[in-house]
Amino acid sequence: MTSLLVAILVIMAISLAFSIGANDETLSVLVGAGVLKFKIALIIGGIAIGLGMILFSGGFVAKTVGADILGEGIQYTTFMLLTVLISSIIWLVLGSFAGIPLSSTHSLIGSVVGVVIVYAIFQGGINLEIAFNWEKLSNVILSWIISPLSGLVITFIFFKLIVKLYLYRLKGLNQIEKSEKYFKWILFIVVIFAEIWVGANSGEALGILYGLLANSSLNIQQYFFFSIICGVAAFLGIYIAARYVIKNLASQMITSRPSEGIIIQLSSSVILMIATLFGLPISHSHVVVFCIIGLNLAQKKDIDYKSLIKMAIYWILTFPIAAILSALFYYGLAIIGLI
Amino acid sequence: MRILLELSEKELNKLSVDELTRLFMDNINEQNLQLINGIECLVEEDFDTFKKSLNYVIKTTTEVQIKKTFENKIFKSKLMFSKADRLKVFGKINDIKNIGEFMANRLLLYRAIFPDEEFKLHVLSILKSLRMISLNLSESVKLIGSDLRKSYDICEDVKEGRRKMRREEWKLLNRLYNYDMDYLSRTFLYLKEMIEDIMMLADHIKSFSEYIQFLATKYLIFD
Repeated sequence: MTSLLVAILVIMAISLAFSIGANDETLSVLVGAGVLKFKIALIIGGIAIGLGMILFSGGFVAKTVGADILGEGIQYTTFMLLTVLISSIIWLVLGSFAGIPLSSTHSLIGSVVGVVIVYAIFQGGINLEIAFNWEKLSNVILSWIISPLSGLVITFIFFKLIVKLYLYRLKGLNQIEKSEKYFKWILFIVVIFAEIWVGANSGEALGILYGLLANSSLNIQQYFFFSIICGVAAFLGIYIAARYVIKNLASQMITSRPSEGIIIQLSSSVILMIATLFGLPISHSHVVVFCIIGLNLAQKKDIDYKSLIKMAIYWILTFPIAAILSALFYYGLAIIGLI
Repeated sequence: MRILLELSEKELNKLSVDELTRLFMDNINEQNLQLINGIECLVEEDFDTFKKSLNYVIKTTTEVQIKKTFENKIFKSKLMFSKADRLKVFGKINDIKNIGEFMANRLLLYRAIFPDEEFKLHVLSILKSLRMISLNLSESVKLIGSDLRKSYDICEDVKEGRRKMRREEWKLLNRLYNYDMDYLSRTFLYLKEMIEDIMMLADHIKSFSEYIQFLATKYLIFD
């Protein structure tokens, strides 16, 4: 039974890795700018995200999600991991049907919190004070606030600097076109850099595998083997599924300038990089949204505050709702005697 | 009458999209100035030069090859994001030609005699303004590739010139409607339509200049 559950969890983790790739829109700015042919962009971007996932699977975000946010003497059981996965998936699917953009990172951490609370109280007999590594958990939650705001500020400053040092000096359309051609290639490098960190910060799939490693359901060789499979799944996710979203978004970006894409992607990827190195799972989409806001503020463009407030409300609610869902689900499983 | 040298197809193919746009603008501007010159000759009752100038506007096709070369080049060019805007600029230059040709054909329908010297002076004044805004627009278009900021500033002069023409138009029409003449006479209709056609061209030039200003705000970063 345990082996079957572990197998199911591994398959679900791989599927999650596929969905991470499938939901990634980072390449759309590259395709929209016409830097690379569409299929080549998908292949290179897919390799980057897969590599990011594989290279940073040994610790960092995977370790935080899979072990570090839990308190001393508490480890994930296979049922806990299963509940976390199922409840976060349910919440994300519900959100998709309702047309609400939700963060998979926030969903996952929220689900973990819900499950661990129920486990600690009703099964493990563990004091809530030691059920979590509160310092780590609070750092994770704090990073959800700091990362998008940092994205806004960094993008704002970065744009102003680039304008002052370079863009303001461009006078005619010919000069602008010529300079943007060079920016095109810088954009390529920056987007690949961003994809690596998107993969590296994706703690959902590898966090589950790390949890299995931590509770000895997997050995270290199996863990790294399945991490590589997750990397490949992320690549396939981009190549097979994300292409439609990327193509759709890219067609809306045909008139956007590579210089603007560089500013947003570089700002968001630097934040992702810093968060990853600190082992903090953050939402890439949140960071990108705030980077775009930062750019709009710097360009003195209008901001749709109404939509922003609506989005912020969903973001704030994701964590507690995912926690409640997972807690109820886990409690339900416990009551019917499955665990 | 200055006639621009025709370039061969081979020579045109060597030019960039921007160079073709500038060459096209020069050609159309030249025809426009011929049209204005022709109407001035009409005012001065030099009917031979009037006919010659307007026939030049109608019959000349020096710009056709430039247009074909541009259309071939623009879609194959490696321009990243300004293709649509450049195509639109080219289209607006072409519209000047179309309006000019329409005006020339209409003006050749009849040989009108102007009511008095005062009226002639007002017509010459409005034509002087039209010449000025045409030249300004031409300069502005040719600066799009190299200095959009200056192009933007010149467009302000174009808009001011056209505002002045609008004031002159009302004076002219006021005079025309107050002459002791039959309002259904060919002379009245001819002069009224002539004034309206001049303003139609001026309005197009003004709208074109606003588009150039839109391009400047789109591509430049203003403080």
